[in-house]
Amino acid sequence: MKLAIALVAALAFAALPLMTSSNYIIGVGISALIFTVAAAALNLIYGFTGLLSFAQLGFWGIGGYVTALTVVTFGGNFWWGVLWAALINAVVALAIGYPTLRTNRHAFVIMTLTFALLVTLIARDWVDLTRGPLGIPNLPKPSAFGYHFGTTGQYYWVAWAFSVAMLGFLYALCSSRIGRTLVAIKQNEPLVRAQGIAPMPYKLSAFAISAAVTGAAGGVFTFHLGIIDPLFLDFYYMQTFLIIVIIGGAGSFWGVIAAGIALSALPEVLRFSADFRMIIYGVILVVAMFVMPTGVAGWLRERQLARMREQLR
Amino acid sequence: MSAILQVTELRKSYAGVHALDGVSLAVEAGSITGLIGPNGSGKSTAIDCISGFQKLDGGKVVLAGNDITGQPAHHIARAGLMRTFQTVRIYERLSLRDNLAIAAQQFDPATWLDEFLRTRRYRQAVDKAEVRARELVELIGLKRYWEIETGILSYGQKKLVALAAALMPHPKIVVLDEPVAGVNPTRIREIEVALAELNRAGETFLIVEHNVEFITNLCHRVIVLDQGKKLAEGTAAEIHTDARVLEAYLGMTPEMAEAEMRGAA
Amino acid sequence: MTVDAVYLLQLTLNGITLGLIYALIAVGLSLIFGVMEIINFAHGELLMLGAFAMTFALPVMGLLYWPSLAVAILAIMLVGLVIYEVLLARLKPDEFERSILITLGLSIIIIHVMQYLFTATPRMVDTQYGFEGVSIGSIRITWTRIIGAVAAAAAFGGLYVVLRHTQFGRAMRAIAQNREAALMVGIRPRVVARNAVVLAAGLCGLAGAAISPIQLVTPYMGQFLIFKAFALVIIGGLGNIPGAIVAAIALGLIESWIGGFYEIIWQEAAVFVIMIAILFVRPDGLFKRGGMRVG
Ligand SMILES: Nc1ncnc2c1ncn2[C@@H]1O[C@H](COP(=O)(O)OP(=O)(O)OP(=O)(O)O)[C@@H](O)[C@H]1O
Ligand SMILES: [Mg+2]
Repeated sequence: MKLAIALVAALAFAALPLMTSSNYIIGVGISALIFTVAAAALNLIYGFTGLLSFAQLGFWGIGGYVTALTVVTFGGNFWWGVLWAALINAVVALAIGYPTLRTNRHAFVIMTLTFALLVTLIARDWVDLTRGPLGIPNLPKPSAFGYHFGTTGQYYWVAWAFSVAMLGFLYALCSSRIGRTLVAIKQNEPLVRAQGIAPMPYKLSAFAISAAVTGAAGGVFTFHLGIIDPLFLDFYYMQTFLIIVIIGGAGSFWGVIAAGIALSALPEVLRFSADFRMIIYGVILVVAMFVMPTGVAGWLRERQLARMREQLR
Repeated sequence: MSAILQVTELRKSYAGVHALDGVSLAVEAGSITGLIGPNGSGKSTAIDCISGFQKLDGGKVVLAGNDITGQPAHHIARAGLMRTFQTVRIYERLSLRDNLAIAAQQFDPATWLDEFLRTRRYRQAVDKAEVRARELVELIGLKRYWEIETGILSYGQKKLVALAAALMPHPKIVVLDEPVAGVNPTRIREIEVALAELNRAGETFLIVEHNVEFITNLCHRVIVLDQGKKLAEGTAAEIHTDARVLEAYLGMTPEMAEAEMRGAA
Repeated sequence: MTVDAVYLLQLTLNGITLGLIYALIAVGLSLIFGVMEIINFAHGELLMLGAFAMTFALPVMGLLYWPSLAVAILAIMLVGLVIYEVLLARLKPDEFERSILITLGLSIIIIHVMQYLFTATPRMVDTQYGFEGVSIGSIRITWTRIIGAVAAAAAFGGLYVVLRHTQFGRAMRAIAQNREAALMVGIRPRVVARNAVVLAAGLCGLAGAAISPIQLVTPYMGQFLIFKAFALVIIGGLGNIPGAIVAAIALGLIESWIGGFYEIIWQEAAVFVIMIAILFVRPDGLFKRGGMRVG
């Protein structure tokens, strides 16, 4: 049932460029798709595994830079760039994940936060590689099999295909026994160990997969923007991903997807003042954490549970 | 009979407190062994050390002929030792069915690739586990909670879920830390019968419990700890007449114990 | 390259000042973590507010340094109290992720409200001391730097006395060491937590006030410092106050030395590299706290 709805929604989304010729609306559509993918990746590591990772911002940025540099500096094409973005991020995630995950989840949160900051600093200060604050403008749109995705409308298909593929992959993962094991690790790690399951490989893989998907999403988004500079690592992106996951319901696959599509329009609605927009984001975060810490999906589930309890009486 | 679990000279101290001070014990294959002692005598610490949840300061643990001393907890579980915890641990936000399924998943042949691709090997493993889970749910009498998040269960019911989960993969030995603390008397009787039944079918148990009647009825051998040392060991009847045990643990004189035994008989 | 001794000394002095500022922030974080097991993401914003408080207090006080400092610290302690009562008091222990997300939201709100009200234009702060200072040989240090460092050192002395010798300090240490035992002997965790937050806010206010004459004051000034303070809390061992101080001063020195000889990127990356290295060697930080039991 859910899958059928998802399929219809995916096809409806695919038709967006046929329904409008407004580059603005199509651009919002691309944001919605890509942000949803990044949020779903955050959901994998935070919602399912219970590890709050701020490194997503760093992976997003690395993904953007790797893809752009592959094309501009190293003469590769866009598709290879996205692949490299995923691979390099997975490796980076393993490298920082291994020492950190041995400690405790507190250290993990802080470590990932510092990592995100480090990536920002590199983007800004390692001028030889990243060209510093000026960034890399005029990123060429990709082509495949002789077809050039030159306009926003055409590039939309790339973003669409990428999103559907990534979300499909994440769904297969989260709904499998692997996803259930991640939830078990989040809920009671000692018990998981007592049942013969080593938590570390699960956590590390979840982190690496989440990093790879986020990085690839960053790469695709950069080429939509057509430029990459240190602003690509603005904390605003991280907040957007977080708010999508929290409002949708951490640990609920479909909740986060729905929230991603719905909330991606939010920044556009709040476009009138950058400051004001951020204040509203902050308020949403604080209020959501108090009013419904488990998100819409959690709230629905809570009600369903209450009904079941009723029936048992 | 041979010892499936052989523990020698276990030592563990926490910042000066000698929680275990050279404890040796053996559990015969196919037996039910009780481990009793006053609060703080080191029973849970012994379990934690044996199952790899605490680093031990000294001693040796051998499970079915393999030295498992100091191995990580998940290795020891895979080697065939399943344990429960004194403060109940279950997955509160997962259904009873999932709780039991997870407990067995490490022991079936499905790899992560099978899981991701949902191969036939995976589906067979899942079906097999489901059959076992339904049996155990019947046993603990929680059939109508099958699809329900275990968080809403009562404390005693949660203890039963933890017990069932430990039994899921047919382990070589099941180590239970106070399995019936907080469970009502009639249910305790039922669990007693069920454990005896499982034991007859070949399951080995090491049980920590303060409920003397439960231990007396079930255990073939009982080991008494006091202040990190083994105080006595023997059959339940022998323990019941051991003056040191009576004094240290049961707080009775031998005459009182005898009177009680006669009353029970 | 010959290393100039005077240059090195200058770097070292700068490093100590920097380290003391880091320490003021990190100690507050560590204190709050020790008592409540949460992290206050908005801690850097308290520092920023402290600096802003100084920019408003100084003109009113006729540029007098000490009264303005006192006003700034008191103001931030008040802010800390409000934050505790309105937000943090609602958290249960071990709601670590939730605490981060809530205080993250708070931090965003504070930064952008400040930016909205006072714009992002950096402000200079002038005090009665202006740019006067002392010269030892060819080294020159401004009074504001010296006083800032002395005030920080004095604050640590005061903190030591409070934690060691007062009722509420002892209660704080008791909770940080063993929560259950502390509750059993009748320590009220809410009161202790509130005191800890207010005290930590005070230290942060001091840090902000002390650096306001040294650095430009902007709504974003707290952000970069807080990231480093987080790392320091990890390096020093979560909840370990002396550990945080030692780690902070060491980092100040290391950054200053690196900054003196290499590109800025290395200076900024140092804290991250050190943290990774420490976690590899000692997963619980340099100076760890007691473990928890699982059974
Ligand atoms: N993590 C720990 N840190 C410090 N001391 C501990 C720890 N765990 C146990 N102890 C101490 O070790 C001793 C043995 O504790 P243990 O929990 O093994 O006792 P027990 O026999 O299981 O008691 P009970 O019947 O109350 O469950 C006690 O003195 C206890 O205080
Ligand atoms: Mg015990």
